[in-house]
Amino acid sequence: MTTDNDAGFGQAAMEYIDSLYGYALTLTRDATEADDLVQETYVRATGAGNRPDPDSNLKGWLFVIMRNAWLNQLRHKNSGPHFVELDLGEPPGAATQENPHVVYLRKLERQQVRDAIESLPHAYREIVVLRDIEGFTYQEIATVLDCPAGTVMSRLGRAREKLRQRLQPRIRRVDYGLTKEGRS
Amino acid sequence: MSQCDDIREWLTLYLDDELRGDERVTVESHLAECESCAAVFSRERSFLKTVREGGKLYVAPPELRAKVQQMLRPSRRSRFSWMVAAAAVLLVLLLPVIVWRVVKQGNQPEKGPAGSFALMAAETHLRHVRGQLPLEMESMSPQDISSWFVNKVNFSVKLPNYQESSGQEKLYVLEGARLVNFQNDYAAYVAYQMKERPISLVITSASAVEPTGGEVIAARGLVFHYNAIDGLKVLTWKDRGLTYALVSDLEERGQQSCIVCHEGTKDRDFIEPLKPH
Repeated sequence: MTTDNDAGFGQAAMEYIDSLYGYALTLTRDATEADDLVQETYVRATGAGNRPDPDSNLKGWLFVIMRNAWLNQLRHKNSGPHFVELDLGEPPGAATQENPHVVYLRKLERQQVRDAIESLPHAYREIVVLRDIEGFTYQEIATVLDCPAGTVMSRLGRAREKLRQRLQPRIRRVDYGLTKEGRS
Repeated sequence: MSQCDDIREWLTLYLDDELRGDERVTVESHLAECESCAAVFSRERSFLKTVREGGKLYVAPPELRAKVQQMLRPSRRSRFSWMVAAAAVLLVLLLPVIVWRVVKQGNQPEKGPAGSFALMAAETHLRHVRGQLPLEMESMSPQDISSWFVNKVNFSVKLPNYQESSGQEKLYVLEGARLVNFQNDYAAYVAYQMKERPISLVITSASAVEPTGGEVIAARGLVFHYNAIDGLKVLTWKDRGLTYALVSDLEERGQQSCIVCHEGTKDRDFIEPLKPH
């Protein structure tokens, strides 16, 4: 692997660090373990002989590496996942000129969405993150989870149903103070 | 099943952009005509919009970002990985020859007292064999073991896939790894088996200790120190910023078999000059 290729790979791989960190938090539910898992993922990726081209599905490949690394860690650990209060900051680009009250309500809504996702059983939480947060296709999710695409569809359907049950009453309460646009 | 039932089963697929061509057209046409399904579609779209906008809140901490960027820096990473991998490959290439030579000369008097690292490695090997030092991770995968040491030791451990890549019969198997204490810091311990006999490899930074003592033999630009400690054959050497110790109690016969295997491979040219005279 040449230095030019390494530089191109490194630059492309760095673009997914936020997504990988979010997925690592979903898997581990622990900020320190997520930090370690992200680093291990990049170590494995840089040492892999079968790196995909930066313009192919690099993101999916990195997610597969992360999930395999996490499963490997689980096999060698006695301790179960730890729960931790996560630092939920504003997402990048969230700065706005909007009414502070509306901004507050939207922030509250995001918090409630995140809480609802966090409250899902692991398999449901993971598939919601892969599809609705990270935007993977069903086939890509099937590759990451190493399961048939049909399983992805059915699991995603059940996960969303649970999420809807947990989310809708909360969103309605938040939505009360929003503009018509907010209720669309 | 009515057309509405069919369409509602497809709504999620449509919103997930999993439909193509005629299927998309069918859904869109139906939604344009059916208020009931359009209302269901609108609710589902609103729900997914809420989830998708609300869920993405995580940003990698700056410290993590900096560490990964450092890791991905091409010049340093490539060079260092290559160096450590080359040292590890060299270890595997030399293993049968050197241990055979140690066995041959095992009864000869030592040329100097064993160094502290060699003593620690021998002690660690014995404790592991006695079951007093269990492995912290068990794996036959060099990659898994290399990854496990990341952030646990202050140097890079990268074990090669030498046997797999050479295509020859497996002469040894990896068992796993753990951390061991050496001079108030951690050293890397890797356990192998060769023909059901244990082999230990201990690695630390060359800044922590330099190999000393024993019989000194230079080969292929490296200086190896051989010691016989408590019936064990201990080989230490330094290469590319790391100090290694290899410990075994392999019998002469087994090592000769290994040499025969290596002599039949592409490594012959490399190994031939290293044979003991």
